[in-house]
Amino acid sequence: MIELPTRHEEAWRWADLRHAEVLADTLPPANDLLPEVEQHWLDVPGERHLTVAGHPVGDSAIDTTALPDRSLPRHPLADLAAASARHGATIRLGEGEDGGTVQLLHVGTAGAVHSVTRLELAAGAKLTLIETFADERRDHWLNHRLDAHLAEGAQLTRILRVKTAHGLVSERSAVSLAKHARLVQLVVATAGSALRSEAHVTLDGATAHASVNGILLGDAHAALDALTRVEHRVPETASTQVFRLVAAGQAQVSVAGGISVARHAQKTDAEQSLKALVLKRTAAANLKPELEIYADDVKCAHGCTVGELDKAALFYLESRGIPRLQAEALLTQAFVADALAVIQDEVLRTALDTEARAWLAART
Amino acid sequence: MLNIENLHASVGDKPILQGLTLAVNAGEVHAIMGPNGAGKSTLAYVLAGREGYEVTGGSAHFEGEDLLALDPHERAAKGIFLGFQYPVEIPGVSNLLFLRTALNAQKKLRGEPEVSGAEFMKTIRVESEALGLSMDMLKRPVNVGFSGGEKKRNEAVQLAMLGTKLAILDETDSGLDIDALKVVAEGINRFRSPERGVLLITHYQRLLDYVRPDFVHVLAGGRIVESGGPELALRLEREGYERHAA
Repeated sequence: MIELPTRHEEAWRWADLRHAEVLADTLPPANDLLPEVEQHWLDVPGERHLTVAGHPVGDSAIDTTALPDRSLPRHPLADLAAASARHGATIRLGEGEDGGTVQLLHVGTAGAVHSVTRLELAAGAKLTLIETFADERRDHWLNHRLDAHLAEGAQLTRILRVKTAHGLVSERSAVSLAKHARLVQLVVATAGSALRSEAHVTLDGATAHASVNGILLGDAHAALDALTRVEHRVPETASTQVFRLVAAGQAQVSVAGGISVARHAQKTDAEQSLKALVLKRTAAANLKPELEIYADDVKCAHGCTVGELDKAALFYLESRGIPRLQAEALLTQAFVADALAVIQDEVLRTALDTEARAWLAART
Repeated sequence: MLNIENLHASVGDKPILQGLTLAVNAGEVHAIMGPNGAGKSTLAYVLAGREGYEVTGGSAHFEGEDLLALDPHERAAKGIFLGFQYPVEIPGVSNLLFLRTALNAQKKLRGEPEVSGAEFMKTIRVESEALGLSMDMLKRPVNVGFSGGEKKRNEAVQLAMLGTKLAILDETDSGLDIDALKVVAEGINRFRSPERGVLLITHYQRLLDYVRPDFVHVLAGGRIVESGGPELALRLEREGYERHAA
């Protein structure tokens, strides 16, 4: 029996892990039939690698050994993933190498599946990684960890799409950035089930820049949680965080956004914007900025708002002929646009925007 | 075109309109003037169908149809346009997207084919140029960072674009300098035609120097208390609303 943290030990309103405990000792069923996965890929060019129930499918061009970075601080779920994963994806890029766009699709079937992604980007290397979690509409638990190291001047864009309809996805990323390195991470969750997404980013070199963002769209009984911890460990590093949460139905969406600035990390420039939109009074949103600042010459800005759609704006749109539901969708789309704007690549941004629109249209 | 009979309406528990009767025919411009708190804006919102403005009696028909039974977007599709005293800012939605969405939503409801992107751009170029609003501004989010005058020009562009039959303009002159006022007046005059009607709600006579109304009504205490021609507006400007005070 594994030991997972309980409500008593966890300070924040996380999706309940009891569900995972029930599934923890269940292995996914052996099944030669491949599920339909075509609809889960993001419609952008690039390499594609599929993993079903923790097993790589087809001839993978990438290293599928699970190689967690065991030097990282302990974390119950990430440790469990490291101990239990049979396969993973390891991508190593040499100096100045451009890895292009790589998609990893994790499809859960049933039972518990653990997986690991490991990225090593040498100086000046560049990669766009799109990881997607989906399922076959059956109960399951996907527990994933990503360990990444960005050497000097390396650039990583990581998109995480959570499209599961059932069960629980727990996902933890640990990314360290050397001098000049840049990280852009965006979680887009349209899951109908439960998600815990944690990002632990450490800025270890001057002028390193991390942009850690999320769009959590919760409907029905979804429980979507995100937690970030961005650590400014040395002087002259910068970070931005933009989270846009939408809660409909009886969903609960939460984000705890953490910034910590070490004592000597002067000239840190950190910015955080957490906003939630509650579309139905039966839904709930929780926002929690967590700032720990031990240096004195820093700029740390944060804003945090929870609200409903602006009634005056809704009436304005209606008075011009736009039906109520369409007006709501238009305003909600505008609300999440801030978080999509962090993606510079227009093809990628448009593809994600289309998905968000589809989610909103399906609601109405 | 518009027939209002003995209309009563409340906001919350407070009765505002108390037996208002008014008819606007196609081709006519009616100015509604009155002191603050007379119910001028309430009349505009009730006709457009805003939430929280409850009709407690009477009727309003537009081209023979019961207006009060329609949702706000259905009223717009019938050809009713409400020009706002304070146009709302909508961050994240560009003017172009907003207008095209509105236009196509109206067309869909009327069973007409949607307007193509090219066709839409062609029309809006003409209208925005005529009203002095650059295409750059139209690419920006709706009214965000617009001056008072630019917001009203934007209203005038929408009025022109949306196939309006009856324009209800709620204190469209408030907060405008003289140049902006002239542009807005020009927008209204461009809109005037034998098939269209205008209900011009205003506190001051100033706008009526540029848009000559066919009829002027005084709204006080929730009903029309006096009606006349353009000369009535001039008299009100001279004498104020004192004689209509309740």
